Amino acid sequence: MSHRPTVHLRERSKRAVKDEQMRKAVEKAVDRLSGNRLKAEREMPNWDEWREQGKRIRKHTVNHLDYYLGQLAESVRNKGGHIYFAQTATEAQEIIIKICKEKNAKLIAKSKSMVTEEIHLNLALEKENMKVVETDLAEYILQLAGETPSHIIVPAIHKNRYQIAELFSKVAGQKIEPDTPSLTTFARKTLRKTFMAADVGITGCNFAIADTGAISLVTNEGNARMVTSLPKVLISVMGMERVLPTFEDLEVMLSLLPRHATGQKLTSYISVVNAPRSKDEGDGAEEFHLVIVDNGRSKLLADEEYRQALHCIRCGACFNVCPVYRQIGGHAYGSVYSGPIGAVITPFLQDDFDFWGELAYATTLCGACSAACAVKIPLHDLLINIRRTRVELGFTHPLEKMGFKMWRRIFKIPGRYKFAMKFGSFAQRPFMNDGYIQSGPPPLANWTNSRYFPAAADKTFREIWQEKNK
Amino acid sequence: MQNKEQAFLSHVAKVLGRDRPLLKPPKRDEVGPPAFWKEQKFDIDHPLAFFKRNLENLTGRVYIAKDSKDVSQQVNAWLEELQAKRVIMWDHEELKKVVAIQDAKVKVDYWTAKGPKRKMMEAAERADVGITWADYGIGYTGTLALFSSPIQGRSVSLLPTVHIAILKKENLVPTMSTVMNDIIQRRGNNSVPAAVDFITGPSRTSDIEMDLSIGVHGPVKVWVIVLDD
Repeated sequence: MSHRPTVHLRERSKRAVKDEQMRKAVEKAVDRLSGNRLKAEREMPNWDEWREQGKRIRKHTVNHLDYYLGQLAESVRNKGGHIYFAQTATEAQEIIIKICKEKNAKLIAKSKSMVTEEIHLNLALEKENMKVVETDLAEYILQLAGETPSHIIVPAIHKNRYQIAELFSKVAGQKIEPDTPSLTTFARKTLRKTFMAADVGITGCNFAIADTGAISLVTNEGNARMVTSLPKVLISVMGMERVLPTFEDLEVMLSLLPRHATGQKLTSYISVVNAPRSKDEGDGAEEFHLVIVDNGRSKLLADEEYRQALHCIRCGACFNVCPVYRQIGGHAYGSVYSGPIGAVITPFLQDDFDFWGELAYATTLCGACSAACAVKIPLHDLLINIRRTRVELGFTHPLEKMGFKMWRRIFKIPGRYKFAMKFGSFAQRPFMNDGYIQSGPPPLANWTNSRYFPAAADKTFREIWQEKNK
Repeated sequence: MQNKEQAFLSHVAKVLGRDRPLLKPPKRDEVGPPAFWKEQKFDIDHPLAFFKRNLENLTGRVYIAKDSKDVSQQVNAWLEELQAKRVIMWDHEELKKVVAIQDAKVKVDYWTAKGPKRKMMEAAERADVGITWADYGIGYTGTLALFSSPIQGRSVSLLPTVHIAILKKENLVPTMSTVMNDIIQRRGNNSVPAAVDFITGPSRTSDIEMDLSIGVHGPVKVWVIVLDD
C-alpha cells in the first residue's frame, strides 16, 4: 500500500512552479483566507487570549490522552454506541469494512474527512465492491477527477470551473455550464439522491467530547448533517488526538477554528452527534460507530517537542501564510497532509524520515506558520527538529556532511575565517553579476539554479571596522 | 475488542511516560473560554441586535414579531412570497400555537413522534419550506441551536429549500456558552439530545474558485421570526 510519489520533491516543486493556473488559484485562495482570518481576529475581543486558552486546552488534553480516550470510549458505550481502536491504517480499514459488510452496505455517503484520506479508505471499500460517494463539493470534484486534496480547507482549489464543468458534464451525460450556480445546482441535485439512498454514512470528526461521548463536525455545505442524519448507520473516524474534555472546551475551539480557517464567526453548521437516535426519533443514525486511529500519532506523542503537532485543530492557517505552499501548492508535497503541518507530521505518520523527512526542507523557516497557528504550535521549530533528527539518523547527503565539516574547521579559528572571507570575495569574481552570483559552480549551482546567491562584499566587516577606527 | 482497547490505551499511556492509563480525571486549572468571555465582559448588551445584524450579513432575514398573531401573519406572508406549495413543520405544541397556515393550497406535513419515518423524511425532502421552533438563538454569531427529539426532526431544518425558524426572545442568548452549559446540565441527568445542530445562515460553499455560492446541500435561505411579546 504505497502512496508515495515516484519523483523527488525537488522535481515535484519544479513542475508545480511551472503550473501557472494552479499557482494563481492557490495565491487567490490563500490571500483570501488569510485576509479573512486577520479581519476576524480583529473583530473578536482579546484574540490572543483565545489562542492561549486554545493552546492550554489542547496541551492538557494531549498530555492526558490516555485518560480522555478511555473516558470517551466509556461515554460512547454508555449510550449504546460502538467504539473501536485501530493501531494502523490497515486495522482501521478492516474495522470499517467489517461494519459495512455486516450492514450489507452497497452505497456509502461520505463527508469530508482527512483521516479517511490518510488511511485510503475509499480504495479499500471500493475493492470490496461498495460504492463510496464523497459529498463535500470539493471532495466530490476530486473523486470524479481521481485526485487528492491540495488544501485541507479548500481541497479542490487547484481546479478551475471549466475543468469542473467537464467532470460534471460527463456524469450528467449533458453539458453543464461552467458557472458556479450551475455547478453547485448540479451537485445539489445529484448528491441529494445519494444522501437519501445511502446505507451507511461515514464522517470524520473535528472534536469528540470525552465526558459526553459526542462528536462534532464543522462544515459549511450541510453535507455532514445529511450524512449524520439520513443513513441508518453512521461511522465516524477520528485521529486519536481529536478529543476535548468537555463541551465548554468545544466553545473555545469553535471560536478559533472557523475564524482561523475562513474568517467566519462560525461555519454554517456545527453538527453535534451525541448518541444513536432515540426510539421515537424519525431521523438520525440508529447505529453509531466511532473508530479511533493511531497510525503513527503515538510516535509524535512520545516526544515532548513533536507532541505539540497533535495540538493542531486543522484550520489550515499555516498553509495560507506559507511562502513555499503559496508557490508549489499542496500536491507537490506528495503527502496527504501538505503545508507546514503536513511537513511536520508526515514523517511520523509514514514512519519514514528518509523520504518524507525531506518535506522539512520545503520551508523557509520564516516562522509565519507558527505566528498564524490557532493554537500556537511552534511549527518552524518542529521543522528544524526534523532536519536535526534526519542528521542524527544519518540521512543527510555525504557532500552536505563534508561541507559542514569543512565549514566548522574554517569558522572555528579566526585566522582561517579571515582568510576564507578574503578568498571568497576574490574567488567569486568570475561568477559575479550585479552584486549576485547568478550561475555558480557546483555545489553552489544547486542554489543558483533556482535563485541568485548574494555576492560577498569587497571588504569584510572587520576591514571596514578597522578603517573606521583608525 | 476490549483487549485491543486496553492495549491501545496502555500504549498511549506508555509513550506519555505512564505505567498504565490514567483512570482518575487529571487536574485542570482552566476549563472552557477565557474568563472575560465567561463573565461577558465585552460588548454584547443587545443580543437581539447582534443576532439580527449577523444573520442578515449572511443573507438571512430576521423579523421581530410582537405577538403570536404577528408570527403567523409573517409566516404566511413569507410562504406567499416564496410561492411555497409544500411545508413541513415540527409537531411542536408551542409552534403550532403561533403558526397557522392559511392558504388551503399549501400542503402541510408534520414531523411527529409516531409518523412513518421514511415517509416523513421524503416529505421533508420534497418540501419547499421547513418550519422549526429553535431552542436557542445566539447573538454573537447569528446562530440557531436546534435540539433533536421525536418531534424535532433534523430533516425539517435540513432538506427543504428554505428553513424558517421561530424563536422566543427569551431564548436569545449572547453567546454559545449558555447552550454549552445547558448541554452539560442535561448530561447530568442523561437527557442530552441525540443531536444538537448549530445553524448559522444558509448552506454555503467556496469550493469552486473561491467563489461564494449559497445553498449547496442544505437550505438556500434561513429566515427567523423572533417572538418578542
